[in-house]
Order: sequence, then C-alpha cells, then structure tokens
Amino acid sequence: MSQIPDQLKHDSAGRNERRSRKSNSFAVICLLISGLVIVILVTLLTTILTKGAGSLNWNFLTSVHVENQPELSGIWQALVGSMVICLICGLFALPVGIGTAIYLEEFKPKQRTMRRFQGLVQLNINNLAGIPSIVYGILGVTAFVYMFGLFDRIQVNQIPEYEMGAEYFYQVNTISNRRQGIQGRFVSFPAKDPSQPTFEINEPIEVTDGGGQSFMLNVIADDLPMPTDPELLERTVRRGTVASRFARYQASHFHLPLGKSILAAGLTLALVILPIIIIASQEAIRAVPNSLREAAFGMGATRWQVVRGTVLPSALPGIMTGAILSMSRAVGEAAPIIAVMGGILGTTRGLSNLMDASPVLPVTIYKWSSHQNVAYENLAAGAIIVLLVFLLLMNSVAIWIRYHFERKQGAF
Amino acid sequence: MAGMNVESNPQELILSEFRLRSPGAARFHQSLVVTVLIGCALISILTTIGTIVMLIYESSGFFLNEQIEIGKFLTDTRWTIGQTQGEIRYGIWPLLSGTFRITGIALLFALPTGLITAIYLSEYAPKKVRAVLKPALEVLAGIPTVVLGFFAVTFLTPYLLAPLGDFKPFNAASAGIAVGILCLPLVTSLAEDALQAVPRSLREGAYGLGSTRFEVTIKVVLPAALSGIVSAFLLALARAVGETMVVALAAGSTPTFTLDPREPSQTMTGFIVETINSESVVPGTLSYYSIYAVAAVLFLITMLITIIGQIIRNRYREVYQ
Amino acid sequence: MLIQSQLTRIDFVPSTGILLRSQTNSSNRRPVFLFFAYGLMSVLVLCGCNSGNVQVSSGDSNLAGTLRIEGSSTVAPISIKAKEMFNAIHPNVNISVSGKGTGNGFAALSKKEADIADASRPIVAKELGNCQAAGVEFYEIPIAYDGLTIVVNRANEFVRELTVEQLIKIFREDFAAKTWNEIDPSWPSERITVYAAGIASGTHDYFVEVIGHGTNKGLRSDERTTLSEDDKLLVRGVKDDKYSIGFFGYSYYVPEQEVLRAVKIVNENGVAVEPTTETIISGEYSPFSRPLFIYISADSFKRVEVNEFVNFYLENAPEIVTKAAYVPLPDEIYERCFERIEAEQNQGIGTHYLDSNDQKRTGSILEVYDFKNLRR
Repeated sequence: MSQIPDQLKHDSAGRNERRSRKSNSFAVICLLISGLVIVILVTLLTTILTKGAGSLNWNFLTSVHVENQPELSGIWQALVGSMVICLICGLFALPVGIGTAIYLEEFKPKQRTMRRFQGLVQLNINNLAGIPSIVYGILGVTAFVYMFGLFDRIQVNQIPEYEMGAEYFYQVNTISNRRQGIQGRFVSFPAKDPSQPTFEINEPIEVTDGGGQSFMLNVIADDLPMPTDPELLERTVRRGTVASRFARYQASHFHLPLGKSILAAGLTLALVILPIIIIASQEAIRAVPNSLREAAFGMGATRWQVVRGTVLPSALPGIMTGAILSMSRAVGEAAPIIAVMGGILGTTRGLSNLMDASPVLPVTIYKWSSHQNVAYENLAAGAIIVLLVFLLLMNSVAIWIRYHFERKQGAF
Repeated sequence: MAGMNVESNPQELILSEFRLRSPGAARFHQSLVVTVLIGCALISILTTIGTIVMLIYESSGFFLNEQIEIGKFLTDTRWTIGQTQGEIRYGIWPLLSGTFRITGIALLFALPTGLITAIYLSEYAPKKVRAVLKPALEVLAGIPTVVLGFFAVTFLTPYLLAPLGDFKPFNAASAGIAVGILCLPLVTSLAEDALQAVPRSLREGAYGLGSTRFEVTIKVVLPAALSGIVSAFLLALARAVGETMVVALAAGSTPTFTLDPREPSQTMTGFIVETINSESVVPGTLSYYSIYAVAAVLFLITMLITIIGQIIRNRYREVYQ
Repeated sequence: MLIQSQLTRIDFVPSTGILLRSQTNSSNRRPVFLFFAYGLMSVLVLCGCNSGNVQVSSGDSNLAGTLRIEGSSTVAPISIKAKEMFNAIHPNVNISVSGKGTGNGFAALSKKEADIADASRPIVAKELGNCQAAGVEFYEIPIAYDGLTIVVNRANEFVRELTVEQLIKIFREDFAAKTWNEIDPSWPSERITVYAAGIASGTHDYFVEVIGHGTNKGLRSDERTTLSEDDKLLVRGVKDDKYSIGFFGYSYYVPEQEVLRAVKIVNENGVAVEPTTETIISGEYSPFSRPLFIYISADSFKRVEVNEFVNFYLENAPEIVTKAAYVPLPDEIYERCFERIEAEQNQGIGTHYLDSNDQKRTGSILEVYDFKNLRR
C-alpha cells in the first residue's frame, strides 16, 4: 500500500500525460483498424454491385443458363433449386436438431450410462461443427448418392431396384421418311410390363399422341405398300416395329439409392447445419428461466408436458432465429453440393421431382466466375446480388422474429 | 400459436391440454417422446461414426495399395495424383503446405485485425460506432464463401495484388486474404465474448489504481481473457483450414511446395473439390482413394484443432462463470 | 416441319424447292418410298402445304425420355449445341451434357451411366475391354475436326511459331524447360508457366502422343504446370499470365482471339501453319488436327429418343459443328456414319481404331473409318 503514494510522487505530470496520450492514440489505432471491416464490406459490395448491376433484369431472373451465350443466360433454375434445397434442409435438420437440443437440455438422465451418452453427444456436436463442409460433401456422396453400395447404382436403360412415382410408357415413331417429307408422329402407350426395355408392335394398339389425342395404331405388314392417305400414314407402323421404354415421373418420384439428386444434396446440407441448429436451440432453451419449469412441475406436469407446454413456446423465437441463420448458411454453401450433385448449370426440364438434379445459386456463381468467357463474370456478380438479397430477406425474418417476440416476452 | 397463449397464461393452457390424461398414460407418452429424442441425438452420433468409418474404409484403399508407401506419403514433397499418367508422387506436403500457406496468410490478417476490433468493441467503442460496426460484422459473417472467392479473383488479385508484384492469376495471397476476411468476424465475435467475460471487478480494480484505459486493456483484461482469445484463434484456424470455395476459385489447382505467396497453391480442400468436380474419380482407382486419404488428413487436423479449442474454451468458462 | 440442312446427302425436291434428308430405317426401300414421296409432296404442294390434319408441329413434339451425355470437354460444346437445337424441336427430351474428360466419358459408358460418350480421341484397348466386360456395345461416330491449339498470351511478342521439337522441350517431362531462353537463346529468361489439359482429357492424350514421339514420356507435372480437365480454367490461366503457354481445343481459342494468340506450328513439310478452319480441313495444320467422336451405347440407341437425337445430330452436323466453332468433317464421313447406324443386325457396331492385336490404327480418317477396319 505504501508503494502507491511513492509511485505517484515519482510520476511527473508529463508522464501521466504521456500515458493518457498513449491510451488515446491506441484508441485511434483501434478505431482505424476496426474501420477496416467497413472498408472491406464497402469494397466487396461495390465490386459486386458495379459488376453485377448491369446484368440484373427480368430475363436474367427468369431464364436458364445457355452455353456460350451469356446474354441469354439466367438464374431461374438456380433460384428455384436454392429455395427447394433450403426447404429440404430445413424439413430434415429442424426437427432433428431441435429434438436433440431438447433431449440434451431437458432430459438429463439419472443413470450413469445415459449421462455418459449425453456427454458424448454434446462433445460430438461441438466437434461436428468444426468439420469442413467438403468432408460432409464426401459423406453425402457415400451415404446418400450411393448409399454405401447397398443398392444397385442408377444406370441408363435400367429401372432402379427401389422406385416409386414413375409411370412407364413405350414410345414409337410412326412411319417416317424425311427424304420424302414424311415426318412421322411420336406416339406412346402405357407399358404393361415395364421391365422390358423394348416392345415389338405386332397388332393394333391404342396410343396417345403429343396433343393428348388417342387412337388405334394401324399396323401393316412389311411387304404392303404404305397408305397414301397422309392422315392414316401418320397412324401407321410396320409390323415388328420396336417401341422403346421411357418414364414419366410424378412429383412423388423416388428411388434408392438417391443418386445425384437434389434430395441427396439437401440431406447433406442438413448434416452440415445440424450442429449449428442444435447449439443455437440449446442456447435458446437454456435461456428459458427455471421458474417457468418449476411452476409447471408444481402443477403435476410430466417433464414432456413441461417441455411442450412451457419451455418450447418461450424458447421458440430463439430457436427460430438460430434455425433461420443456419439455413442461410446452407443457402450459401457450394462445396458439399458440388460434391453431391456435381457442378450443374442447368437442366432441360427444370426441377420436377426430388430425384432431379438442379443448379443452385452458389454453384452457379462458382461455375460462372471460373468461366473463360468474361461476360459470365458479370452474370456471376448478378447472381451474387440475388443470393445476397435472398439471404437478407431470410435474415430480416429472423430479426423480425427476435424483435417481435422479445417485446412480447418483455411483458411476461 | 401455442406460444403466444402460453405467454399470456401458461397454467391455463397446460391444464386445458393435459387435464384429461391419466398419469400413467402421460408417463407412457413421455417415454415414447424420449425414445424419439434419443433417436434424434443418435443421428449426430451416426454422422460422426459414418464419417470416420467411411474415411477409414475408403482411405485404406489408398494406404494399403501396393503402390503406396505411407512413409513417402508423409515425407515426399511432390503430389502428382491427377496431374500425370506416368509415375505418380504422392507426398502430402504440397497440399498440406498449400493449406497452411493460405491459412497462415489468412490468420496473419484476421487475428490482429479481429483482436483489435474486438478490443475496440469491448473496451472503447461508443454506442454510435458500435451500432455501425456490429451489424457490419454480422453482414460480413453472413456472406457466403463463394462470394469471397469471387471477390478474391475479381478484385484482390487484379487490383490489390497485381500492382504490388508478379502475382500469378491464381495465387496463395489473394485466397489467403479472402479467407482472412472470412475469419475476421468469427475472431472478432469470439474474442469480444472472451473480453466481455472478464469480470467488471477486475477492470474497476485496475481503474481504481489509476490505470489508463490502455493499461487496463493490455495489462489486465487481455491476460485475463487470454484462454478465450486463444480458443477463438483456434476455431478460426479450423475454419480457415476447412475453407473450400475461396481456394477453389482463387488459389489455382497446382500443388506447390514453396513459401512464395505469389504462386498458385492447391490446398487439401481444393484438391478434393477439384477432383470430385472433374469426376476423375472412377471408383477403385488411386485418384478416387486419394480423395479419401486427403479428406482423412483434413478431418484429423480440423478435429484436433477443434478439440484443443474446446478444451481451452471450457477451461476459461469454468474460471469466470 | 421439314428439316433443312446443308448436308450433301440430301435430295433436292424440284417441285417444292425443299431440301430433304433421308431417314434411318427405310433407306433400303428407297425406290418405292421415293415414288410415293414425290406423289405426296405434289399433293402437299397442291394443298398449299397446309393440310389441317397433319398436326405435327415442331413445338409440341411428343418425344419424351432422358439422355445422358458424358465425356470430353472439347466435344461438349458441340453436344451442347446439338442439345439446344434438338430441344427446340423436342422440348420433352431431357438431355444432360457434362464435359469431364474423354476417359471419364468412356468409364461412364462402360458403367452404363451414360447413353453417349463424347471423345476427343478414339477408344483405347483398355476401355474397349471394360466395355466388353460390362457387355456394353457402341457405335463409333466421328463428328468434327479439331485443331489442338497451342496458345500464348497476346502480350507475348517473341513466341510466333514453334516446332514439335521445341514443344517437346517445353512440355515433355524429361525436358520441362524452366525459362524461355532455354528454348531459344534470343527469348527472355522469364519462367515458363504451363496450362495443359488434364490427364482424363483426350486432348491431353492426343498431345502426349505427339510429343511422346514413340517414347513413353508424358507431360510435365511440376509446380510450373497447371493441369485441368476444365478448358475454361486453362484459357483464364493463359489470359492472365504473360509468360505462359497452354493448349486446348480450337473452339475454346476462337472467342478469345483478342487476348490469346495461337502459335504457328511447323508441320512435316517445314511450313509454319496457324490453326484456322481452312488449314485444319486441308490437313496443313499438322500434327495437331484430329477428329472428334461420339460413342453411342447400342442398348441406348434402341430407344426412340436416342435414335432420334443421333439422327438429328448427324443430319445437322455441319451446322451444329460450325456453330460450336469447330470444323465439319468431309460429307463422305457423315455418309459413312449413317451407314453404321442404319446397318442391319447391328453390323455397324464397334471401333475402327483398334486392330485385332489391340494396336491403334493411324492414318487419315478417310482411311481408317472404313467398314473393313470395323472391329466389334
């Protein structure tokens, strides 16, 4: 104690001033370096806006990628793909993540083995959060695309072993000869035995054409002359003509293994964000005051009733905020999707069921910015703007939820 | 919807919902629920087990291949898988050094900047500055990594680095800086948490002894928060090591064993995504198995960093909470 | 409703002034058909070509199905053009094209994961063996010429022409020149950076074959070398790097002529030739002119949509190939392609480029692509 007055005595006014000057200049340095964050952000956004603003128009939003024609290319499929993948990811990761969080926070078991199990799960989740997303991508390929080789691979000319939501038809071109200007007409009929890849037409059969019109197919023998009536000619095939199988997929189409599908990609992303959702939900549940639980217990509620009736409702805003934030992380992920679905830029039909592959925004950005045609770089910037707006919308929902419910809880 | 009701009157809702159920049925119901919840928890365990089993099983195809000697994998300084049809070299060092070159540059940028920003936010920042800085950091944290890769290729390399010297179109420096930008918000928020966790009493004691704000920060708060800051650094390190899209876009696809930041530099993650994307992965070939071997190394490294980070983090939590 | 094309194998129908192409399975009945056709055409012309019952307009084609094309990134632009034009007529056929390298294309074909494999070199014995083992048969269809183009940055003023020997010094693993003055003392002592096609690409194989010169030496793979199956990455690399050199398919060079420059290559006659459409067709641009192929799974070819697509591809090959910035083959070759796919009892199946001892046949495409060389 006696040392302090001594020191103060030795401290001349100048030294004190130096000390405070040092402190102040440190504050200025801190401010300058912190300002770097703003500088980076502004530079980043300016770069993207200057490059990308020009490519933003209605056509860009509604069209698909056309190779080597950047002026015609757009992001419609990627936008839809990103939304669908976000949905799949949320539908899977949310219940599982919240369930795990509830289990870890509200059902602390008494037995030693179960306590150990919980400790293991908790440790495991913290570590899962640190695994690089590309490793999840490889896991997705092994576990979802090929399903550990438990099923036959998806091959062309073959029906997958386990499949639903697919209707098989045979199609055939009626007598055609372009040399003579006879175009023929593509007609189809349902496959009675879809396991056969081809079907030999030997007798008249009811078929449907492109306009949905049904009629009987006229079958003539090999050696007979063709009908001269053009209308009849269009409905005629020679005996022994081979029709080939094709599938029409319903929206419910599903097969095992999942193959390079948007479902496999969505599930992989769900694994990526699962630990984040769990941790966020745990924190939200932890923040619920104990008095609430005790009040409910006091009324004789079981633990689950307490959780359902009391804890979950008041933790919900926090959980939803965390969930939306982690889903916006999923929307921005590219690496696991490239591993699972490949770097797709566009498909012919667009997304019609969960077994289709689809481009997504981050992958489109990646492929476009590594495109040799520089014009695609501006499109990539345009796609980035759309992606950022999309993320901004998601985040504002999260902020709204937080604000809205915090106010409500304030009255509690 | 139930939430709003409960907040206005929890008892009423609980009673109305559960009144009619007998205690036995409720207990049965609960055990059912617990089973489902355990099932949820199992999925995260299964993910880990699945990852580990997959990595061991598939990378054994690499390490047990008669062409491969593990010694060479760990010591050779050339990596030519996916690069040549002749004699392949499979030393992990070019990929490993690529990863750590980029990580090094990233942390060189992110750690001091992030730490100082955290100090400023925690100790100095007036409310107005905070109101700008915090959201800016949050926005930066939310920017997808592929966007930062784009930024590295279209801005950092041509406008920031090219005037400074002979930087190759794809180089370690721009990828490193972009990864650094990525880590910056992470370092800042974790370090700020650590600084804020230092009890007020420590600061007040120091002020009471006549210290300036600078002295309090450097001599009292910073040492007290050290373990938290170190764990923040480690988590940022793990993040940087595992970053994929930035390096895939900006760092090039040549595995190099050099310290020159101007040269291209393929990382472990870059190799994996490049090989998978080009699909030179016919199952059963060496290049297919090499993906898993590299992924296994990557997994081990990030796992190790994360675990050390967690241990340090838990320790400092115990001290102050 | 009629497909116009610039092909030789077309018949000029005087009464209509319309160019028509023959169609597949009926070529052996041509005389009878011709008779009816002229009759029909006259009727149609008389009706003002507007018969209300013939409703097969191009927009609502009923043709459905799925088609997977994998393989060479060099050929991919052609297949993508074919796909785009085909889909304009048959929008319900789902076609995916991915360019991941010739080797990967053949792998996908033999694993029955692709209907068509794009290839920038003929199939080799090992790949044929894989296909045979899996019971996969295929039609071998050459589709275009490519001039493998060696490029430098526009700013590079000193490299104007190269001999094959100089290329060997730059690219082959046993030389792997580090600086430009190692190639020619008058050139600067700047370090060479190489951007080359990756090992799964046929372009790589073809280039290695030329610079290998009968040795087993391959392409360099050191730290100055970037190898990628993605040609776009190579274009970007050379574009941004003043002292670099690279090679890829001609069509990737064409749109980049402002920033890249194709190096003239000294051919066997000692003349330095730049790759252009003319020099590639004439064969003057040697030894880097090469044919490109598509390989069609015979099982898949039985499917109506695949059959239709391949016929469309061949009928419109000159237009498609030109649009994709490649060089069409002589019409004689397309004629022979039709003979392969139209042959009775799958007689057209197999490769022409391997003899019975698994040795590669060499020579011009007109010599090699002949029925007598066909090996199933």
